[in-house]
Amino acid sequence: MTYIVGVDIGGTFTDCIVLKSAADGSAVIKIGKASSTPPDFQTGFINSLRAASAMHGVELEDMLADAHVYHACTVGTNALVERKTAKVGLLTTRGHADSIFIMKAGGRLKWMPSDYIAHVAKQTKPEPLVPKALCAEIDERIAFDGNVLVQLNEELARVAIKRLIEQGVEAIAISLLWSTANDRHERRLREIVHELAPDLFVSISSDVSPRVGEYERTIATIVNSMIGPPMRFYLDALEVDLRRHGYTRRLQLMSCAGGLIDADFARALPVLTIGSGPVAGLIGAANLATAAEVGGSRNVITADIGGTTLDIGTIFNGIPVRRSTASYDQYEYYAPTLDVRSVGSGGGSIIHTDGDVMRVGPRSAAARPGPICFGRGGTEPTVADAAAVLGYFNPDYFFGGQITLDVAAARAALAIVGKPLGLSADQTAAAALRIVDSQMADAIWLTVTQQGYDAREFVLYSFGGGGGLHATALARELGAKTVVVPLSNLAAGWSAFGIAASDALVTAPCGIGLSSPFDPALINDRWRALEAQVFERLIAQGVPRDAVELEHHAEIKYALQVNEVDVVVEGGTYDAAAVDGMVIAFEHEYERLFGKGSGYAAAGFTLTGLQVHGRAKLSGVSFGAIDSGEAGGEVAALKGSRDVIWYAKGGMTVSTPIYTGPALAIDNEICGPAIIEYPDTTIIVEHDAVAKIHPSGSVVITLGSKA
Amino acid sequence: MADLDPAPKLDQFSAEASGWNGRQQSYRPRSDWKTRVSQNVRFHEEQADDIDPITYEVIRQKLWTINIAHGDTITRISGSPVLATLDFNMSILTEDAEVVLNAPYVQLLNAGAPLGIRYILETLSDRPGIDDGDIFCCNDPWIGACHQMDVLFAAPIFVEGQLFGWVANAGHQYDLGGIVPGGWPQNAQDVYSDPIVLPPFKLVERGEMRKDLEAVYLRQSRLPDLVALDLRAQIAGAVFARGQIVALCNRFGAPTIKAAMRRMLDQAQRAFQQKLLLIPDGTWTEVRYLDDALPGNRAAQRTQLNVTKKGDRLIIDNAGTDRETPGVNGIPFTSWSGSITGIISVSMLYEQLFAYGGSERQIDYRPTPGLLTCVNHPTAVSGGILQAVTMMNAAQAVFSRMMACDPGLKEDLVAPCSDFELPVLVGYDDRGNFFGQALLDAFAGGSGARSFGDGINTSGPSYSPLSMALNVELIEQWYPILYLYRKEDADGAGAGKWRGGTGLRSAITPYRAQSMSIITNTAGQSVSAQNAPGLFGGYPSVAGHYVVRRGTNLADEMAQRRLPDSIDSLTADETVTLMAKSNGAVLGGGDVFELRVGGGGGYGDPIERAPDLVLNDVRSGWVSHAAAQSIYGVMLSAEGTLDAAATASRRDALREERSHWQQPAGHHAGRHVKPASGEPDRAVHEYVVATDRGDERVLACSKCGHSYCGYTDNYKAGALSHEGPVMLMPTAQDPSYYNDQPIVLRRYCCPGCQVQLSVEVVRADEPLLAEMMLT
Repeated sequence: MTYIVGVDIGGTFTDCIVLKSAADGSAVIKIGKASSTPPDFQTGFINSLRAASAMHGVELEDMLADAHVYHACTVGTNALVERKTAKVGLLTTRGHADSIFIMKAGGRLKWMPSDYIAHVAKQTKPEPLVPKALCAEIDERIAFDGNVLVQLNEELARVAIKRLIEQGVEAIAISLLWSTANDRHERRLREIVHELAPDLFVSISSDVSPRVGEYERTIATIVNSMIGPPMRFYLDALEVDLRRHGYTRRLQLMSCAGGLIDADFARALPVLTIGSGPVAGLIGAANLATAAEVGGSRNVITADIGGTTLDIGTIFNGIPVRRSTASYDQYEYYAPTLDVRSVGSGGGSIIHTDGDVMRVGPRSAAARPGPICFGRGGTEPTVADAAAVLGYFNPDYFFGGQITLDVAAARAALAIVGKPLGLSADQTAAAALRIVDSQMADAIWLTVTQQGYDAREFVLYSFGGGGGLHATALARELGAKTVVVPLSNLAAGWSAFGIAASDALVTAPCGIGLSSPFDPALINDRWRALEAQVFERLIAQGVPRDAVELEHHAEIKYALQVNEVDVVVEGGTYDAAAVDGMVIAFEHEYERLFGKGSGYAAAGFTLTGLQVHGRAKLSGVSFGAIDSGEAGGEVAALKGSRDVIWYAKGGMTVSTPIYTGPALAIDNEICGPAIIEYPDTTIIVEHDAVAKIHPSGSVVITLGSKA
Repeated sequence: MADLDPAPKLDQFSAEASGWNGRQQSYRPRSDWKTRVSQNVRFHEEQADDIDPITYEVIRQKLWTINIAHGDTITRISGSPVLATLDFNMSILTEDAEVVLNAPYVQLLNAGAPLGIRYILETLSDRPGIDDGDIFCCNDPWIGACHQMDVLFAAPIFVEGQLFGWVANAGHQYDLGGIVPGGWPQNAQDVYSDPIVLPPFKLVERGEMRKDLEAVYLRQSRLPDLVALDLRAQIAGAVFARGQIVALCNRFGAPTIKAAMRRMLDQAQRAFQQKLLLIPDGTWTEVRYLDDALPGNRAAQRTQLNVTKKGDRLIIDNAGTDRETPGVNGIPFTSWSGSITGIISVSMLYEQLFAYGGSERQIDYRPTPGLLTCVNHPTAVSGGILQAVTMMNAAQAVFSRMMACDPGLKEDLVAPCSDFELPVLVGYDDRGNFFGQALLDAFAGGSGARSFGDGINTSGPSYSPLSMALNVELIEQWYPILYLYRKEDADGAGAGKWRGGTGLRSAITPYRAQSMSIITNTAGQSVSAQNAPGLFGGYPSVAGHYVVRRGTNLADEMAQRRLPDSIDSLTADETVTLMAKSNGAVLGGGDVFELRVGGGGGYGDPIERAPDLVLNDVRSGWVSHAAAQSIYGVMLSAEGTLDAAATASRRDALREERSHWQQPAGHHAGRHVKPASGEPDRAVHEYVVATDRGDERVLACSKCGHSYCGYTDNYKAGALSHEGPVMLMPTAQDPSYYNDQPIVLRRYCCPGCQVQLSVEVVRADEPLLAEMMLT
């Protein structure tokens, strides 16, 4: 008997799922939930394990004795948000330290909301990640071709490093120009730092993110060093606690690249753990869509709707869309991440008026004080308040009855907001839901359009606390025919599921700047070096060598164009023909993404990067294997009915049937209008939609299919 | 508050005098322009009577999203580095070409769309006609483009056979011919040396590209293949946005969408009216000079922007501007008016998220044609686009001064940002590849100070918030150069109670180049006399520069494992400072070129700046010790700590020095008496307040109460004035190196308390400038 454990630490709760698999292949799933315990997150971690072991009826120690523990943590993110990071010193090429203050000028605003961009008088730059006094410029220079133009001046470097150590830095980031072409100076500087201060946490940019573009690479390296010490502290404590409770295997951590990495690797490159929680949800969706074909398509848009944000992801042909940068505040940095974009729209978004216009968000009441109806001191009406007033939420069965909703207070506040527009509380609530649904759909549409896809050709997966509330409306707005609320019965453990279902994934990238025709010998050298790195890391992670599947990626662009395309190419030994094959694969993918005839081959090609991805199954958990109970039978879960206001029907009040989600059987069909209540999410089924329970326990809603 | 009149007016483009027909003078529609539109065009004018606020908000969001996706489609498909730096903009317009929405990119660039489209309607609607699926193209600066390189594509939107509206984009091209590659010929005598000029033509006919016209469009380009790619991207963007708007009409009903569009216009208009009503009536003026109409001229030309505010309307003219001459300092009406709306959009109508269109209904443009800021054909205009930046900064100064008259608006004012310096590198790399592109580090200039805080260091331009500085590694990959440094500048920003954001210095040297030369083109006087003007006693930012040091010891230094922090630390055989407009300075191996990019203007008297802020500036390298002492009056000890006592006495000494300044020469302050109004005091400047004194309304010092003049007079006439060399500002260079006309620094202070009221860099023969004349 083996236990697969997935743990997701959020700001409020730590969720853990534990899957007990028996020798006959059957599996039983239990969820453990505990309050998060910042700053010592490991305590909440162990508490959630204990809760799950109790559900399985075993002692924690017995469970851990034969368990695999997989984990997505927010320690790095939290440290950044609360600015409880290490004091970092930066070593960089002389003349170029100011790159981190210049912040690419207006480039820093690229991912900021439009109202911030428009109001130039209120713009600012954030506090520097490293103050000027802790930046040291080193005499050395490497050119784009890797040539050393100025030898590393070690004597002066030593002086500079000693000065930083004297100033009390707790970590050092080293990022030199063109270290992607030649990392010799960065490595040597790291040796010198280790000589002078053996315990100091050091990251070098050619390790952290070997991509051309010094700004984003330097920020990644700094962020890595900022969270390195707190992460090391946390993982050390967690591993001690786990071992004390009988765990013997290696701890694996979720990375933003969408796979599990070894805890030691995460200690060295903690920047990879930032954003791994939302990524886990996307991995879960990819698994569900490919293994169990829930929703009937391998093209999926994911909407993770929480209290303050909507996180949007895209899966095309079963593979999550990736991007090469992530953002922290106005700082954009290189990270090999799944493309999850956050928009400030959620249950806590505040409803307000601006002249004679009603607006929802972007301000949020967040978890504290939260919506008015939660009764935790919130005073401004939110989306959740509007949903409560419309009758979408059951005041007595919210969060499985843990929160009793104060609908009257929400109604009173909405009445005040709506008054200048001549709207009643009910009308205001309906208007707010309509606006926020439209806003969320617009954000999703824009994301998918920017990625080059047509939203109508996708299935929508809607999850998170607000996933069920907005699911049908978003699908309707986007023109999607099917929307899935995945594993509704276990909604709270969704991200933890994604973690447990993840493969081990190591990506080894290298930046390169080759003009066509590319030299096969050079490419072969790089492939072999990257493959060696991948094997080394995965074997350290406990993966047998023959379980590793390699995937080779090349990043290529047309010489005079800026769009870089990541294409999967052949591995093996390259010759001129293989190089041609690489270029053909690129041109094919380029046209698919940007349109026929959009590339300019006459200018030649530039190879900007190579990557080897090594992947290996770990838990082998597949959603296809999840059995959620008996199929067929009558719908026995009708709980009663209540009056619900449907904005899509012009604010009509309809006595609407309410179903108890957990009591529904597989293949049960429910025609809208209806509401299905689960402990952690409430699913709204609009008038022309039909909901059906999938064998995985997911609710699949088909729009416009009602006879 | 007076009643608002939300009824649409068309004054903004009305030009009743004949001659505004796009041939010699710019095209400007007359108020009866619609009567000349062919009967074949059926305008969609039906709008839903009553659109509820919720539907309105939903549609407003969707239009915004479609417009952004329009731009994303262009950058994605083109893959062009030019368009990737967002040197374009896109818009949605009504059937009669009012701008409903534009985007956060270069603000100026949409100015051509409403003009170009009305021209198309007036002159082409009969033949070749306007049909569903058509797309028009135009780069004629006298009709619908800011200069030839920013090409307009305008696509009519048809719903059920009626012309519902337009989508348009304007984007920069690699090359469209002309005597210098890249399209900024700094030595063009007239438009015949400029890139090709194309009046509007129908490039796409009912969805099909006209191959013959595409060939015409591309023929004069040095890079026709790349221009063809961008052409397709711009067309694809317009087609995409048009399709989305048609789908929106199908879903909500065209009359509902139209009602929402009109309401967006009305809201922008109303918001603008309300803000204008907060400002007292009067005329605000800004004078800026433009160096060298042609390389070697050694003379600056004068421009003047006058904004008269009356009630809820503006009258804007260019009287006082020099006449056009051969050379490249001219801009057409499109750029001039666009520079004004661009600034209004980011400073007074930011809440509308670039849906500023309705505000233009409140503006009467009254330019005199044939002056430099409204040139006639065939004056050269392509290289002149940089002067549109100077005009945007002039508009920024004017509107900021106006906004200082209301406590709420004051929070939103920003002093002008750095002007624009454009060095272009041309040559061959060691593999024999030609290169010819601009170094766009000027996009990392500093922004102007605010009324409550400093400008942002290396922020990028206020008039194009998203414009970015590229990574050094990316540039070194493209061009055969090595960046020795790129760093924040010292003393580059305007000093003040709040200082401007600092600019930067970049130094390069050739690496693996066969040959390299530098062409310079420059806005305003940004390498000779000043960059951004300051506000209310704040200093302007000093001029930047282009410095070449030939035959340096850089190679020796590098061999000794040393890199320079400054080009001054190198030895050189020769040091040459390039002029504002120059042609082909050679840069060989071992030569070094430094570009100094300006900072933003300062705000308020620098000796009012908190000393600890100055200390921080010095420690951060943004302000030198010398400037701390001479400009800010802040004294630091040898250890670099603040000496409070010495600072206080230094500041007293500075005030004492100012008390010896003189009444402005040659100006006899004839006092116009305006009777007391009985109204409360009203600040009209950081240090000037309108107040009743006895039975007269006067302008007085808000700090000490000293009365300067009557309410309708120029307060500077009642101030003390000092005229000195520009080099009083630390690191400023001598303008006489560039310019044969003497240029001076004029400062004004209060005779009562010596607070510094105004600092100007002006020609010595310039009469007393009236930045504000209230009525």
